[in-house]
Amino acid sequence: MIGFDLNEEQLGYQNMARTFAEQEMKPYAAELDRRQGTAFDWGIVRRFAKANLLGLGVPQEYGGLGVDHLTAAVVTEELGAACLGMSEPVGSTWLATCCLKLVGNEDQKRRYLPLVCGEHATLAGLAVTEPEAGSDMAAIRTQATRKEDHYILNGTKAFITNAGLAGFYIVFATTDPRKRDSGLNAFIVDGDAQGLTLGKVEEMMGLRASQVGELIFDNVEVPLENLLGVENTGYLIAMQTLDMSRPGMGATAVGVARSAFETALAYARERTQYGRPIIANQAIAFMLADMATEIEAARLLTWKASWLIDQGMDSTMASSMCKVVATEMAERVCSRAIQILGGQGYTRRWPLEKYLRDVKALQIYEGTNQIQRIIISSML
Amino acid sequence: MIYKDIGKKIQKAREAAGLCQETLASRLGYTQAALSNYELGKRRLYLANIEQIAKELNKPLSYFLEESPVPAKTEQGEPRDETIAEIIRLLSELPAEERHYLLEYIKWRRDRLR
Repeated sequence: MIGFDLNEEQLGYQNMARTFAEQEMKPYAAELDRRQGTAFDWGIVRRFAKANLLGLGVPQEYGGLGVDHLTAAVVTEELGAACLGMSEPVGSTWLATCCLKLVGNEDQKRRYLPLVCGEHATLAGLAVTEPEAGSDMAAIRTQATRKEDHYILNGTKAFITNAGLAGFYIVFATTDPRKRDSGLNAFIVDGDAQGLTLGKVEEMMGLRASQVGELIFDNVEVPLENLLGVENTGYLIAMQTLDMSRPGMGATAVGVARSAFETALAYARERTQYGRPIIANQAIAFMLADMATEIEAARLLTWKASWLIDQGMDSTMASSMCKVVATEMAERVCSRAIQILGGQGYTRRWPLEKYLRDVKALQIYEGTNQIQRIIISSML
Repeated sequence: MIYKDIGKKIQKAREAAGLCQETLASRLGYTQAALSNYELGKRRLYLANIEQIAKELNKPLSYFLEESPVPAKTEQGEPRDETIAEIIRLLSELPAEERHYLLEYIKWRRDRLR
């Protein structure tokens, strides 16, 4: 059996992240949500860098905080609770560094991991999705052609978080599309590589503090030493990376849901109708009871998936389960919170409508919840 | 999902090499329990682990990572031909009746070339 208490170090990180989120994220959340894609706010990155949160999972020897996955889940819950959109640049950097940590050789780790650490840290990104290759990764068409001491990359990646902003990207490309899964490769590509340009930046329903867009590769030269792992092992690399990052998504979903719940609870205690606070009505109190219960259940599943990763166990099933449970729970909780606030909740005076718009994305990216169900059912 | 598939292939290759779990585990520097967990798909296999195991069992890395709908693909020591691999992959997607029909056609083509 395991205990459910966080240890002192984890509590320390939780406090640090909570304070950071309250002071450095929350005050900017509403304004950045309204600015939508006009100009990415580098102030976010500078604040994250100062707290070294971009190097959250990067081992200390490369300059990062080097926390384990459970601690990272605790931290990301706090970031999600403040603003999911602003958490995205961190999440995407976490994803790319997770991948690099998993399969990068010493030289690759030395060259790239320190870039996302410390005060002058930059962002990183992971580029898998393409216009015609979403859930079906084997349909990736971005071509990697080997030429002497380098590869040449050509193609377009879509819906890439931190597109046009990152210091480096982990890019998945195929050496032979006919080989499908078995032709996939992962490369580290410098953000300022010649021939790499930012395409269309998406206008989105939520996550408006983040930048999501296309990356266009036009004869981009990538040195041989930037191939991750062994040639044609990209599929395994992508699957492992995503399995290990999914609990982070569960944790941010729990964070958003918690904020929505806390807002609704405080409102229900203060708002008076028929001469008593609305929480005195079971119709309202039971909604809050369900919200609290569902948040707790999702948090525990998220922690379990993270714990499995930290133990070196296969976390595939638990990772998928926690993503499904937490992200669908978050949508329900946000919707109920709006219901409890009534007309107020539907306005922009309150952050609830933003929470709802933001969490919807979590059911879609990094493997839709339908894909998660395919993974879970295949393992039953 | 992936680890279970790879684990099964490790077990198969180990047995084909006539090794018990203890022997292979000690050659790899693992405990027998760790190797058992890898074979059962319970532990996360890093690419480096798979490379090491492939080397020890004298198999190409692709043996463990590629889907093998028809086991005969690489195990009989035949050279891996792209066209044959593609035919095998596509054949496995067809219903049995269609596969039988194609077999008849291939036999007919072969006889004609004789």
